[in-house]
Amino acid sequence: MLNLKFFGTGGQGVVTAAKIFSTAVSLYEDKYAKTVPAYGHERRNAPVFTDVIMADEPILVNSFVYHPDLVLVMDASIIDKNVDPGAGKHDGTILVLNSENPETLERYKQYGFKEFYYVDGTGIAVETTGVGIPNGSMLGALAATGIVKIESIEKAILDFFSKKAGEKNAEAARRAYARIKKM
Amino acid sequence: MAYKMLDGNAAAVEAMVLARVKVISAYPITPQSYIAEKLADLVAKGVLDAEYIRVESEHTAMTAATTAQLTGVRAATATSSVGLALMHEVLGMTAGIRMPVVMPVVNRALLSPWSLWCDHSDTMDERDSGWMQFYCQDVQDIIDLMLVAYKTAEHDQVLLPAMVCFDGFFLSHSMQKVDVPEQELVDNFLGEYKRKNLYLDTSDPMFVNDLTPPEDYTEFKYQMKVAMDNALQVAPEVMAEFERSFGRKLSIIEEFQTADADVVLVTLGSMSGTAKQTVLRLREKGLKVGLLRIVLYRPFPFKQIREALKNVKVVGVLDRSSGLGLPGGPVWVEVSCALSGCGAVVKPYIGGLGGRDVPESTIEKIFNELLAIKNQETETHTSWIDTKANAMDIREVLKVV
Repeated sequence: MLNLKFFGTGGQGVVTAAKIFSTAVSLYEDKYAKTVPAYGHERRNAPVFTDVIMADEPILVNSFVYHPDLVLVMDASIIDKNVDPGAGKHDGTILVLNSENPETLERYKQYGFKEFYYVDGTGIAVETTGVGIPNGSMLGALAATGIVKIESIEKAILDFFSKKAGEKNAEAARRAYARIKKM
Repeated sequence: MAYKMLDGNAAAVEAMVLARVKVISAYPITPQSYIAEKLADLVAKGVLDAEYIRVESEHTAMTAATTAQLTGVRAATATSSVGLALMHEVLGMTAGIRMPVVMPVVNRALLSPWSLWCDHSDTMDERDSGWMQFYCQDVQDIIDLMLVAYKTAEHDQVLLPAMVCFDGFFLSHSMQKVDVPEQELVDNFLGEYKRKNLYLDTSDPMFVNDLTPPEDYTEFKYQMKVAMDNALQVAPEVMAEFERSFGRKLSIIEEFQTADADVVLVTLGSMSGTAKQTVLRLREKGLKVGLLRIVLYRPFPFKQIREALKNVKVVGVLDRSSGLGLPGGPVWVEVSCALSGCGAVVKPYIGGLGGRDVPESTIEKIFNELLAIKNQETETHTSWIDTKANAMDIREVLKVV
């Protein structure tokens, strides 16, 4: 079983990203995933999070993730908005960050995640889709960690978006998958 | 198998579409809104061949659904929280005139304080309304128990309405992998809806729900009591037939590692899955803990629960509603009653109110306490299991000394 936590801000498609990821895992890899969404007073740019649990067998747990194995940060600014992306992490927790800004990378390094992947997902979203919504690109970034195949992510993206938007977002995922770096 | 990714609300819609509902009257309320909206969308697009009645309140939603079903079709509605409370008066009519309406209820706390989030206070308030109540553990359960509910409710020996209850957000908005049955199989399982007993037909008018004097009232209620008793026989038969048709095993109570358990926790709803995972983990440590999940809560499976727990020394019951004015919630009261004379200690727990998560750590805390009580190591009993230590200081209005 793998516990994931997705952080971002309202308007970035964090919840949609979790749904696409769960679909990729469940329908295209013969595994099981469920989203455990946290709904509150939604506002654009306010910090949001959502959880995903994945496993080879049907999942019993229906509760939030408190000790994530992987943390995805879609908006690096959350650390200036009272969010601690390192909360509950353990010795093996992996971080995937949407940023290539050296100063930001340095700040995130302080959390001491075991592995640290990073890519400018927003930049890739702008160059592929024309809009800085990084959920497609960051799903490609997730595939780079090896927990899901990029092909599965592409198929699930095409399920969720209209044809044109789907193809652009799938391209964003592929580019992030190719460009991602590991610290 | 046709797997789909659905959240709980979408699963409820799938079940209503598979049951070929012909009239829908629903009023949107968080976290049920998607059901009302999606059904409207399907009717507008011509995907679902049904009449959609836009109503101004849940009171009318239930009235319209019930009276529509009186004409001889399956009718649909859905609600949550205060919406269910507003239906309260009409729920009694639906049950009393024996209309087997099946309604998904997305569990959400009742006010006050105002909350959008999950607990069972809404459906617990309707537990004696003459409606059956099924509680779902996961999204697959929502489709499965909806189909079971239709067939049980419409059975000649039952003819009572049913709520299929599932936890707001934890299930309504959780996307899960679901095996959606094929239409043809569902058609064979449910059959076409046939009007029985009372009906509305302009060519053959009749009085429905008219004034009933003391000479007859008790007997009408007695008939409903017999129908509830019958449902305890019919529901397991329907579940067995469901398994033959769709391959998934269902039961009115679920015994999970209870056979040799020293202590057992009783739950209903989505927290049951988390509790099972906790049982598996504690079993690995050698702790003999078990779980009893109540699937069919109304009618209450009194004998089945007694049979399952009669040899257990210490039982905990975790209610997801506050049961104000009693030491525990309604499920605790009833389980205690079912086990009376068995010699078991039955401890009440209250938790998961107003959207508070029930994580493995909360369940583990209960099991540890139950084991300590069983081993006579403690007399401590923490009935409000997940309450903050500074509870009396939260948004303090009046200092209670």
